[in-house]
Amino acid sequence: MSIQINNLTVTFKHKVTAIDHASLEIPTGVFGLLGENGAGKTTLMRVLTTTLSPDSGTVTLDGMLYHEKNYAAIQKQIGYLPQEIDLYPNLTVQECLEYLGALAGVPQKLCKDRISNYLEKTNLTAQRKKKMRQLSGGMKRRVGLIQALLNEPAFLIIDEPTTGLDPEERIHIRNLIVDFSKDRTVLFSTHVVEDLAAVCSQLAVMKKGRFLYSGSMQELLDHARGCVWDCVAEDAAKARELEQRYRISSKQYVENGIALRILSRTKPDIDCRPQNATLEDAYLYLTGEPLPR
Amino acid sequence: MKKRILFMEMKISLPLYKIVYSILFIVILSLIRGVSVSFEIGIAMEPALAILAAAFCADTYALEVVSRRSEVWRLYPLKTRIRAVGRRLLLQQFFLLLVSAAGYGFFYLFQKPLAFRSIQPDAVSEAAQFYCFLAAEAVTIVFFSMLSNTLACLFHNLWCGIGGSLILWLLLDSAYAQRLLGSWNVFSYVFRNVSAADDWSWLCGKAVCLLFCIAAAAVLPGLLKRR
Repeated sequence: MSIQINNLTVTFKHKVTAIDHASLEIPTGVFGLLGENGAGKTTLMRVLTTTLSPDSGTVTLDGMLYHEKNYAAIQKQIGYLPQEIDLYPNLTVQECLEYLGALAGVPQKLCKDRISNYLEKTNLTAQRKKKMRQLSGGMKRRVGLIQALLNEPAFLIIDEPTTGLDPEERIHIRNLIVDFSKDRTVLFSTHVVEDLAAVCSQLAVMKKGRFLYSGSMQELLDHARGCVWDCVAEDAAKARELEQRYRISSKQYVENGIALRILSRTKPDIDCRPQNATLEDAYLYLTGEPLPR
Repeated sequence: MKKRILFMEMKISLPLYKIVYSILFIVILSLIRGVSVSFEIGIAMEPALAILAAAFCADTYALEVVSRRSEVWRLYPLKTRIRAVGRRLLLQQFFLLLVSAAGYGFFYLFQKPLAFRSIQPDAVSEAAQFYCFLAAEAVTIVFFSMLSNTLACLFHNLWCGIGGSLILWLLLDSAYAQRLLGSWNVFSYVFRNVSAADDWSWLCGKAVCLLFCIAAAAVLPGLLKRR
């Protein structure tokens, strides 16, 4: 399954442009979507789930054009976990999933089997008789993910699926998404860079409604190669001075001063060592102001 | 499976707080609204239950919008979505009808009105009065619940559903509306000539309600499809 976005533009009231002539191809597998708040990620996902109509441009899902007459066929192939969703507080986890499965048109027996399977994979089996309102934020998020998987969609769109999860649960969910993505397309939007690094080989970076980058993770890392340096500033004054002159991707108090991770095309004029770029470094490199020389 | 889905719809559309406030509403109404003769019970209850129905049912679909579930609902087949909203409306309307019937009894219990026949011997029996009220009330409940749900779906806002219904309620439950619309008023049962047992002209107002409900049901798919 592949999704093709061509020259897509979405504008809201008062001429706010959420997506600005954006083009992208989303291939099979887990595809990451990274960007700052307000970059247009959620708007893009709303277009892909047919919730929003674009002002111009086209979207196709395996060659099928996003158009009113095709929406019913397209919607059948999509599973969606929105950024914020409050599932039925009066229903138990089992009831809630059975209800949503029935609405999605999943046969009862199959639905129950899938619910049991996914509850086990997300460590929620013990909570199946608890009411939704009794669950923690992370548990609700996992139930939200299960509802998106119930109809076994060919195209899964998940917006911040790991929000509120503890590290162990995040790993569980990431593995579940990777398993699910076999022969399917998963669009994974998140602010948590390490989640993307763990599950995606392809990603796109959005800023102000446009795609700054689209391609493989490795290529993005290559962009920032040779631009990452580690150093230790002896005191706070020196650290402040470096912060004014360079872009800093991390800062940490250590025994002999303050350890800084500097992004710079040339070697900073302080004792420092070159480092391998992480996805976070590469993201900052791509989205920030031009780096100091 | 259908029974199980209906049970879940009941848990969704009839949460405890709604059950409590609707029962409290009818108990308080039957305690504070004075009636001296039994035919006044229907007159006292119909407009009050109309506004209760509007407030009660405005969130039938709007709660999906408020909780952001509507974005997931969009992916479900339209027929399934319409059936779900329809089931919820029917469940709530049936519950409100039960509340109305109980309220009628509370009025007898707390106000102890005179039987209509004791002051007008040719009047209909108490039982006939009750069934007549229940039929009129059922139509009013369906009308105001459909109205508030339609407005809430139209504006994607629960308060627009309640507010719009309240405005119409204020306009229709008035002497001016009665002069203007006569027996075609939605509240024609309230304004009917109670001393004329064979006067069924108030059914015109109820027919108007039913026609509106058919129209509201017809536009519901369009409203659910709307982005």
